[in-house]
Amino acid sequence: MSGLRDRLLRLRSSQAAQAERMAGMVERPAEAAVRDEYAQSNVPAHEHEHDPQAGAEDEAGAMARTADAAELELGTRSTACSAAAPEKAHRAGEASVYNAVDADNEHELPPEWGEIGVRVVASTEGEFLVRESRYPLAHRHGVHQLAELPVVQRALGAFDQAGSVDPDGANLLFLDLETTGLGVGAGNVPFMVGLAYLQEEAFVVEQMLIRHPAEERAMIGYLCAMLPSFTHLVTYNGRTFDWPVLYNRFVLHGFRTFEWEPVHIDLLHPSRSIWRNTLVSCKLSHVEEERLGIMRSDDVPGSLAPAIYFQYLTDGNPEPLLGVFKHNETDMLSLAALAIRFGHFLGGGVGTLVPVPNEAEELLRTGLWLERMGKAELAEPLYARFAEHSGASAKTMCLLAERDKKCGNWNRAVLLWQKAVRASEDAVWPNYDAHIALAMYYEHKTKELERALLLAERAFELADGRHGGLRPQGKRRTELDLIRKRIDRLRLKRSKG
Amino acid sequence: MLNRKTLPELIEELRDNDNVINWHEIEPQEAKARPIPDSVDDRIRDALVRRGIQELYTHQHSAYEAVNKGENIVAVTPTASGKTMCYNLPVLQAIATDETSRALYIFPTKALAQDQKSELNEIIAEMGVDIKSYTYDGDTSPTIRQAVRKAGHIVITNPDMLHSAILPHHTKWVSLFENLKFIVVDELHTYRGVFGSHVANVIRRLKRICKFYGSDPVFICTSATIANPKELAERLTGNPMRLIDDNGAPRGRKHFVFYNPPIVNQPLNIRKSATVEVNRLARDFLRNKIQTIVFARSRVRVELILSHIQELVRNELGSKSIRGYRGGYLPKQRREIEKGLRDGDILGVVSTNALELGVDIGQLQVCIMTGYPGSIASTWQQAGRAGRRHGEALIVMVAGSTPIDQYIVQNPDYFFDRTPEYARINPENLLILVDHLKCAAYELPFKETEAFGPLDVKDIMEYLVEERVLNRNKDTYYWANLAFPASNVSLRSASQENVVIIDQSVTGDVKIIGEMDRFSAMTLLHDEAIYLHQGVQFQVEKLDWDHRKAYVREVDVEYYTDANLAVHTKVLEIDRTSARKMGTIRYGDVSVTAIPTIYKKIRLSTGENIGSSPIHLPEQELHTSAAWLEISEADPQLGTKTLEQLLLGIANVFNHIVPVLVMCDRSDVHVVSQIKADHTGLPTIFIYDHYPGGIGLADDVYKRFDEVKAAAIDLIRKCPCEDGCPSCISSEIEGMNAKQKSLQLLEGL
Repeated sequence: MSGLRDRLLRLRSSQAAQAERMAGMVERPAEAAVRDEYAQSNVPAHEHEHDPQAGAEDEAGAMARTADAAELELGTRSTACSAAAPEKAHRAGEASVYNAVDADNEHELPPEWGEIGVRVVASTEGEFLVRESRYPLAHRHGVHQLAELPVVQRALGAFDQAGSVDPDGANLLFLDLETTGLGVGAGNVPFMVGLAYLQEEAFVVEQMLIRHPAEERAMIGYLCAMLPSFTHLVTYNGRTFDWPVLYNRFVLHGFRTFEWEPVHIDLLHPSRSIWRNTLVSCKLSHVEEERLGIMRSDDVPGSLAPAIYFQYLTDGNPEPLLGVFKHNETDMLSLAALAIRFGHFLGGGVGTLVPVPNEAEELLRTGLWLERMGKAELAEPLYARFAEHSGASAKTMCLLAERDKKCGNWNRAVLLWQKAVRASEDAVWPNYDAHIALAMYYEHKTKELERALLLAERAFELADGRHGGLRPQGKRRTELDLIRKRIDRLRLKRSKG
Repeated sequence: MLNRKTLPELIEELRDNDNVINWHEIEPQEAKARPIPDSVDDRIRDALVRRGIQELYTHQHSAYEAVNKGENIVAVTPTASGKTMCYNLPVLQAIATDETSRALYIFPTKALAQDQKSELNEIIAEMGVDIKSYTYDGDTSPTIRQAVRKAGHIVITNPDMLHSAILPHHTKWVSLFENLKFIVVDELHTYRGVFGSHVANVIRRLKRICKFYGSDPVFICTSATIANPKELAERLTGNPMRLIDDNGAPRGRKHFVFYNPPIVNQPLNIRKSATVEVNRLARDFLRNKIQTIVFARSRVRVELILSHIQELVRNELGSKSIRGYRGGYLPKQRREIEKGLRDGDILGVVSTNALELGVDIGQLQVCIMTGYPGSIASTWQQAGRAGRRHGEALIVMVAGSTPIDQYIVQNPDYFFDRTPEYARINPENLLILVDHLKCAAYELPFKETEAFGPLDVKDIMEYLVEERVLNRNKDTYYWANLAFPASNVSLRSASQENVVIIDQSVTGDVKIIGEMDRFSAMTLLHDEAIYLHQGVQFQVEKLDWDHRKAYVREVDVEYYTDANLAVHTKVLEIDRTSARKMGTIRYGDVSVTAIPTIYKKIRLSTGENIGSSPIHLPEQELHTSAAWLEISEADPQLGTKTLEQLLLGIANVFNHIVPVLVMCDRSDVHVVSQIKADHTGLPTIFIYDHYPGGIGLADDVYKRFDEVKAAAIDLIRKCPCEDGCPSCISSEIEGMNAKQKSLQLLEGL
């Protein structure tokens, strides 16, 4: 069979050579060289980058120490605090019995795991590791304090549009996976499952790690047992990623009858609704930095997590995994902080518990989102502020005007349109939506044909001006045609009238 | 036109044509039928009766009975013999009996899947039963995908979709895999060569997943006539098969005519161009409003014929009634053409072998082939496009000047008596196998003891562990890589990505008009190439090789382009050797490098070369298996120059004969000669598989060399030319008794 191998290696090397040659043809070597250089100097560059933030690093160190302290404390109370997950107590109990019976060192972790602070959980299905960090509710993560979480729990009930769970009995579970790949295919394995929940007077972050894909079954079994005690699942992009990935694992490991239908709060969706144009990216790490005052230092980017895990699988050295644990842990805390933020939004805390957004568009979009969540009464003050805001763009004004029109609030709609029309006159790339909307209003609502016609004609000028004399084609052409039709109709009506 | 002639009249006229060198009549056949079995559900029976089906043809009956007994079957039937009933009946019966049953239909192309869905849904509607059949392909909208996965009784898809979307996401298809009773593989004969080798591995993965979910589906395959349907089905599915070939469908009389264009230059044996004759014949039929299909071998040829015919009948018929059809047209365009043919709105179609497959275009009256399609099976498939159940049909094969065309038309017995070709696959091609083992490990962890075809794959798995693609723990290999392996594996061709053809004739209205595989693009879409699409000429303004895009602009010029490819071969390893009288035949691994060199501009009207320019594209390297002939004891009096030309001539003959004998596409196997091979310095002819790692074609040539040799000798000997012509050892041989010398060389091997 070694012949098979040899042939394979030869075939492979020829393909690699081919790729190199191709790269040469398209003049890529420069780019490749840069990449290599970057790879070599990666570590020092990183350090350098973080130098100016030495202060921040110290702070983080302090926080980590707090967490360590909490963990130490946990060691003594670990059995007592399993109330939230009764099954867990059962499993843990089983593990300890198992440990006690054969007192060989099979379940004892090698010393290099010590720094990471994990323990072995064993069941009949096998073993895996758990790292538990316990934060007192007084802990502050960015601008929010964990103690705010129990307060907003009720307000978060707004996400449960079907009303399936009694908000007073809500039991939130935060979830974030670190996986070996992208996408939701059957081969993408969650090697680390981060969970967090409130328990007594603490916020517990429980992170599971499989030392090997073979341990996954035990971890999934454990999850199946503990998940159903929670009523809400809180994630970031969990609807399209974390949950489907996890669900695959239940199927693959034969827990096909497992059923748990929590209220799933995927915070990516409201984040996008509110910040899509205000923030450059709606990635959690960006949102937390820009809006929750969270500064990470020494963070291992999530995108590196798979590579670190594969390296660990190859060399067995767990040390770099600590970075992944910490990254995931911060994610869990940020998720909680973000839930607090949205909880305040829904609970009417804008202006009191959380600051009023500075930017006009964010004000408006927060209002629109609240209205969609069934909190129209909370949206109105934001709209009012927006209408007064000096930085509102013509486009966003039209957005609110459109909303007002639907609600029959014509007064403000007309005001906004008029404002938007004025704003367009000074714009480099003028928007003429307001002209059209206003022309419609004058034509159909107040029957002021003359005013309507003037606006329509101005809209045509603006639209036509955009093309700078070029012959318009396709979509632009139909836009122009539509305006032209409107003008013709108005002229006709006027002549008849 | 008042005096429109009928087909029988035209057939009679054709009988007197001097160029017709063989006339073969296929007698009509009465239907052989049996009553619908009692076990068939009443709702199905009623639906069939309402559709005018009172009995089953014998093959349909046998298929139903065998599948009911739990046997895997392969049904071999000619075009339009009601083969779909062979699988639809048992599948619908099973679902009617047990609502939870599921079936997976695999068609080689999306178009066929669409056709099948419409047909199936008609029967289901007649039955009045709630059976859901869906197609699942790239066009399926995300909103209904969920419904397909959960509730589709019959899921209709293609191998590519199975490979890259369904299998890697099998956890979403639990209800299908848990209840899968049948896997239907239609157009089995198309799964050969590289594509077939890939699909065999995809099926291994499919069976693995079925096993995981506890199902063990029965395979129902259908195939056009090939020599080894049972063997192919067994290799492809890994299951024992029962062959069903008692075709009971009726057919009308068919006339199969071989037409050889007249000789215009006797000593050089140069004949009138087949294309010109085809144009003329097609015109005669189309003028009389007889629905005609013209097959041509290349895309370029399709476009050339199309534009000529459109020109010839312009005054009598609208250009819309004669259309082209080939790969590279967009799906919407193809659907429109298919429908036009069925409805009769389109009178004539010029097609590549794309219409060989069971795409439903109804039955036409006349089929004209521009040259021999390359294999017996393929010829019968194309011929099957003409012929209705009642009434006459005419098939005309117009021979080209290539050796094999001439051989076929002059030896009609070879064609009519011979069994069709073997369809070969090599699922054990290392590169293909490795790719699919990766996909398999991604889908489910791989046990050390697990089998994946006949090879012991443990060695490969260990290699993948070293490559850090897999991770091993105890007796199991786990996927341990960031990548999604299926996305890096294309089932269709050696080149992974196609070149997209972008028309930028109209600024601001840039659109994609087609695509082409990378290898063909090297010679057809290089900078300044003239590319023909739907009869319109485009010039390639820029081939962006790196991004796989060719930018073209419409032009109107009086020439086409023809590119040369320089090929160089190096031996890496010799696996087998057999000594011959004057040389040696070997088999092993070679490295082939190919680089396009220049292209010529050739005037359309006269065929003269009006200039050439270099092509700048990167070299392509290929490691593959090859069979080669070393001539160690050539007659020293021959001289190097002469010997070199003789080798070229023999290579030319092999190039035509080998694809016929091993049944593969012409582009799957290549033949090159070298006067001084790198490793020995000896005159050598290489025959290699045009796919990395090889797909077993060269292996076959090595094993059956005597057969290949005999066919080559026969071809040269029977060619009517005096001393070599394009139809045998090519035209560029000086007066030196080349034919005789070629034969001597061959006989010494």
